[in-house]
Amino acid sequence: MIQEILVWTTFLIAVGFLIKKFFWKSPKKATQGETSICGKSDCGCH
Amino acid sequence: MPKQINVALIGNPNTGKTSVFNHLTGLNQQVGNYPGITVEKKEGICKLPRGLKAHIIDLPGTYSLNASSLDENLVIELLLNKNDKDYPDVAVVVSDVENLKRNLLLFTQIKDLGIPTILAVNMADRMERKGISLEIELLEKRLKTKIALVSARKKTGIENLKELITQYGTISTEPCVNSSSIDPTYFDRLRKAFPNQSLYKLWLVITQDVNFGNLNRNKIEHTNGFSPKKKSDLKRLQQKETIVRYQFINGILKEAMTVDVNAAKDLRSRLDRILTHKIWGYVIFFSIMLLIFQAIYDWSSYPMDFIDNTFASLSEWIKTSLPPGVFTNLISEGIIPGLGGIVIFIPQIAFLFFFISLLEESGYMSRVVFLMDRIMRRFGLSGKSVVPLVSGTACAIPAVMATRNIEDWKERLITILVVPFTTCSARLPVYLIIIALVIPDERFLGVFNLQGITLMLLYLLGFGMSVFSAWILNKILKIKSKTYFVIEMPDYKLPMLKNVGINVVEKTKSFVFGAGKIILAISIILWVLASYGPTDDFDNAEEIVTERYGENLAPKDFENQVASVKLENSYIGLMGKGIEPIVQPLGYDWKIGIAIVSSFAAREVFVGTLATIYSVGSGEEKTIKNRMAAEVNPILGGPLFNFASGISLLLFYAFAMQCMSTLAIVKKETNSWKWPILQLVIMTGIAYVAALAAFQFLK
Repeated sequence: MIQEILVWTTFLIAVGFLIKKFFWKSPKKATQGETSICGKSDCGCH
Repeated sequence: MPKQINVALIGNPNTGKTSVFNHLTGLNQQVGNYPGITVEKKEGICKLPRGLKAHIIDLPGTYSLNASSLDENLVIELLLNKNDKDYPDVAVVVSDVENLKRNLLLFTQIKDLGIPTILAVNMADRMERKGISLEIELLEKRLKTKIALVSARKKTGIENLKELITQYGTISTEPCVNSSSIDPTYFDRLRKAFPNQSLYKLWLVITQDVNFGNLNRNKIEHTNGFSPKKKSDLKRLQQKETIVRYQFINGILKEAMTVDVNAAKDLRSRLDRILTHKIWGYVIFFSIMLLIFQAIYDWSSYPMDFIDNTFASLSEWIKTSLPPGVFTNLISEGIIPGLGGIVIFIPQIAFLFFFISLLEESGYMSRVVFLMDRIMRRFGLSGKSVVPLVSGTACAIPAVMATRNIEDWKERLITILVVPFTTCSARLPVYLIIIALVIPDERFLGVFNLQGITLMLLYLLGFGMSVFSAWILNKILKIKSKTYFVIEMPDYKLPMLKNVGINVVEKTKSFVFGAGKIILAISIILWVLASYGPTDDFDNAEEIVTERYGENLAPKDFENQVASVKLENSYIGLMGKGIEPIVQPLGYDWKIGIAIVSSFAAREVFVGTLATIYSVGSGEEKTIKNRMAAEVNPILGGPLFNFASGISLLLFYAFAMQCMSTLAIVKKETNSWKWPILQLVIMTGIAYVAALAAFQFLK
């Protein structure tokens, strides 16, 4: 039983990690992207 | 005096700035990104005399404060903004003794910002050989600074440099060039409109379109009492400023520097004539590449076998030592084989980056870029695109970002679109394992290892495909463009092993830890999906096997058959069966299909996935390679990984866009989903057709 719980906990952590890595965009990062030196990179700007 | 000071290390590219940084900080350094942008930021701590500590920032190489790229913009913004937490208490301009004239342009500009600035003249050990002599005291007086003669190669002068940094408070902040002389009336108006601001900072804000504090070009130009100039006039003034600075530099170097041409022994020109020769240059380059790939195979087979066996034993040991149960199985069959699938490639990746670093450090890489420029021009690209394509051999993500140096939008877009064809290090594990399985370990002409030759051909295929695609895109894309290419040829030098070592460790670390976490997570998910199933057949695997084979099977065979039925009826088995019709014509079974789908996150996941799936599928073989070699094609019979399916897989991975992170960065750099989606569809299409043709032709 304990081993089953450990397996499913590990599974959820792994799924959570991948979602965070590839799909989750933190509000902080999103804002930084808009204000980069290039501006809203079109980006043949220099 | 504060206990810790900020020191900015600034300099032209190829002045040995990073070597000086490595000497100052040792291993106390970190590599990260500047906030909001993905330009590499290197910083470290250096202990100075008298208990003082320096926080050293290695700024991107720049020729002047007239920015033309994002990296250079960043240097200016930091030097302008006193409120930045990294704003330097003292700047160290690293210059190359052989290019002092050009390097001093940047020095005089930084000095004009009112920052205490030290001049570190690097490569001082070459002065005698090149017939150069410097009057340091005179130079110090004219440049109003302190000078340290340094040789990062011979590790000399570093202590003196540290001492000068400690005494930064005594260095004059007076400018050495009067830049307002280029247009006294204009600068006078500027001074009157902004009496509390540094004149040169204002000038940079106006001409460079960078911000500092709450000042920007717009604000300055629309301030009452200040009439702005037209852009073309400002450009002319900038040119005038550069001329004034060079006049000043020429004047002092005439007095303080002498070069005895007769004393110089010029090996460089002789080497350049051969290494950039229009025929021999390419012959030498390809011979070097061939040697590198041979060495990668020949040298790394022993550590690889050792790692493979160690992980197999570790897995076995965990299985027998921990209490039996599903979690123990997860560790021994999911996590350990998954991790083994990445660690096993450390030797080869370390060797590859070792050789690439040697070529970069020796100055040869710049010659390669120059050589390639000749080829690239025929395909509508310039040598500037070679830098991203070469760095694409490490990873497509920094390579896509490296295209920011390309001013022309069309050329930049084409480079972004074709960079993922170059063979990145994530493809390496896939290539290495498949080559080891399907290409015989034999010698060609008694010298060249066939496996090494195949690996080199795959690298050439990737490069060739990117150039060919660039040529097609150049014809298709109707964007007007005009571009030029200038590259500085650094001197040849013996590579510094410390720099090579740091580079190898950094690259290998980022490969293991960057990809390792994803592989670990995917291995766990795959193991769970392979160990649980939704149907009754999964739970009744024993009965199904007994029904199919009777009671005659040996216990070991019975166990293997049960594991096989369970795997086929597990979640992953059912998913794999679902996509099998698509991958079967390429010579793959459903397990390879699943590995291809999961490796869309990152290519190197392919090997870890197969290691996990085959581990759950049980079998006698313990190492990853042997497990894969033992797999049988369920339809055609014979080994699953044979010459035809192996070549088909190699071609699939050579062309397919199997990298989510690259798609994300392409979206970011092009500010549109159109280009990454096109890239994904076209590259996957090419990969599928090439793999299909290869298998059908070779089977």
